Amino acid sequence: MTTDAIATPVFSKPVALRRISDRSGLNSAAGHLLMVLLSIFCLFPVYWMLVSSFRPANTMFETSLWPTQPSLDNYTRAIDAIPIARMLINTLVFSAVSTVLQLLTGILAAFAFARWKFPGDRLIYTGVALTWLVPFQVVMIPNYLLVAHMGLLDSVLALILPNIAAALAIMLLAQAMRGFPREVIEAARMDGANNWRILWEVLVPNLRGTIASLAILIFISTWNEYFWPLLLSRTAENSVIQIGIQMFMTAEGNQWGPLMAASTLASLPVLVIYVVLQRQVVQSFMKSGIR
Amino acid sequence: MTDLQISGVKKTYDGKPVLHGIDATIPDGHFVVIVGPSGCGKSTLLRMIAGLEDISAGTIAIGGTVMNDIEPADRGCAMVFQNYALYPHMTVRQNIAYPLRIAKLPKAEQDRRVLEAAKILNLTDYLDRRPAQLSGGQRQRVAMGRAIVREPDVFLFDEPLSNLDALLRVQMRIEIKRLHKRLNATSIFVTHDQVEAMTLADTLIVMNGGRVEQIGPPSDVYRKPASVFVAGFMGAPAMNLLPATVGQDGDVMLDLSGKHVAVAQSALPQGKRVIVGIRPENVVLSAKSGAGLPATVDLVEELGGSRVAYCNFANCEVAVVLPAGEDDIEGSTVWINLPTAALHLYDQLTGLRIETPAAPKLSSLTRDAKVVS
Ligand SMILES: Nc1ncnc2c1ncn2[C@@H]1O[C@H](COP(=O)(O)OP(=O)(O)OP(=O)(O)O)[C@@H](O)[C@H]1O
Ligand SMILES: [Mg+2]
Repeated sequence: MTTDAIATPVFSKPVALRRISDRSGLNSAAGHLLMVLLSIFCLFPVYWMLVSSFRPANTMFETSLWPTQPSLDNYTRAIDAIPIARMLINTLVFSAVSTVLQLLTGILAAFAFARWKFPGDRLIYTGVALTWLVPFQVVMIPNYLLVAHMGLLDSVLALILPNIAAALAIMLLAQAMRGFPREVIEAARMDGANNWRILWEVLVPNLRGTIASLAILIFISTWNEYFWPLLLSRTAENSVIQIGIQMFMTAEGNQWGPLMAASTLASLPVLVIYVVLQRQVVQSFMKSGIR
Repeated sequence: MTDLQISGVKKTYDGKPVLHGIDATIPDGHFVVIVGPSGCGKSTLLRMIAGLEDISAGTIAIGGTVMNDIEPADRGCAMVFQNYALYPHMTVRQNIAYPLRIAKLPKAEQDRRVLEAAKILNLTDYLDRRPAQLSGGQRQRVAMGRAIVREPDVFLFDEPLSNLDALLRVQMRIEIKRLHKRLNATSIFVTHDQVEAMTLADTLIVMNGGRVEQIGPPSDVYRKPASVFVAGFMGAPAMNLLPATVGQDGDVMLDLSGKHVAVAQSALPQGKRVIVGIRPENVVLSAKSGAGLPATVDLVEELGGSRVAYCNFANCEVAVVLPAGEDDIEGSTVWINLPTAALHLYDQLTGLRIETPAAPKLSSLTRDAKVVS
């Protein structure tokens, strides 16, 4: 999954970063150089996409680092060809609702696993963990049949349904909750807080970092989902942007210009979400270390 | 009335017994300190009173109501944790007000109580800070504030001062004592610091290995330790404990390598093995030859106001508290005297106290006599 590359820096602890800066100057210079190189490596395709989207069709394959005759031509063509706005809204609804629901179910399930003892708790947790290992291809057909029977084909709701709960969210949150100081939760119990309050007034506010990281992860992976929408969509109006982009790759050849324009438009919301939540993540990391 | 009645309380973790039946009655308004070595079950007992831990057997009653199945919040107990357990995301004000907010007190009343607690604890300047922006002592006070505002019947403290530096510990100790005088609520304080235990307690409970060794006022516990364990545990430097055997006519004789020295007289049967205890401050040390048992000073510890000399006689080590002084006695030979009135006698088998021994028939101490093969 493409989101893995994003996940790594988000979840790594600031301690690791600090350790790098603690090393000798030479080492840190080398480290920085490596990171710069890797960043260029990662960012260049994105940059190329952006630049290409401003290149008129006749200069599409030029090799200069910026467009020689920049134009918005590709954008108008893309917007004319597919209902981009509609698709972006669909994708946004799909991703945002999936993220919120997955976080919600994740938080509730994780609390139960982390804080309660009940018969079969271990077994159920293992079961949840195992669903994480089941590839999408395995559940794809059953899921398809289910939503088809429910008469939901070609709807955003059907896209959302299988994304309501996910093992990754449950496991990550359960782990974070287990790591939360027990005494603080006991103090809340002594103060009269019931489970509901302990969860929402004590645990969740202190797990903002984890939750924000997770939100980014879920949002981006849902945003980028392709196969599941491909399976369900029948009309462009009920499709997501990833399907829209695909529409520019035809048997007669690829329309690179509009494709790059649509891709750029598809990337922007992800970028915004990432920047917004990233600040939240960094902030909560800075606030942590409190006992 | 909020007296606390602990009757036959036991705790087992997965079949492994941790508390073996605790009985204690704590009168209303008393300050009770539970001391004992690490792992003896102090926290477990306290947490059972708080309701954070199930009671495996027995009952705990507060003010006459059995609390076994009552939720922690409804027991009228407030707890101060060792690591403060403040809510990291809330300000000091919010932390202190949290129990009141849950109890749905009117906002004005909440503010009033928070402010009052903050005044008592000198926290008024810090009300809008978060725990991370406070020093250890301030966090400790916030934790106490959160307990005070609830106006609980019983205060529970689990080693609340152990994360503070020595100076702050003393300050907070005094503060807690003052607070108790002011609020006069029944308090139970767990610690393994003896000074804290001695100074704070109205009643001291000494625990060991999941059992109560002794309950009583600190002075009683110190003067008449009920068992060898208590004798060795309470007091610093620790009480000297010397193995001894009862000889003819009930003479209590120290088991020294090669010889036996009678130090007391008892009504015990001959051959009974006992332990003789004497506090280091009660041992009389003399540089004058012949005044007691000859011993060599191995080591002297300087404590500022006093010194502790570790003396060796016939492979037996005895600590002696000496007044501060300049004379260098390390390595020299001295004579030590164990005044009978200061001796404690314990059964070597059961570890229990045997009532005060009488003076030996012969004044054998001074003559270093009555040597039995
Ligand atoms: N949750 C648990 N499961 C199993 N055993 C436990 C549990 N909690 C405590 N114990 C055991 O119970 C015994 C008493 O523990 P407790 O925490 O009450 O000791 P303590 O007297 O408070 O020690 P300390 O002074 O180190 O805090 C210990 O032997 C400990 O290993
Ligand atoms: Mg403890």
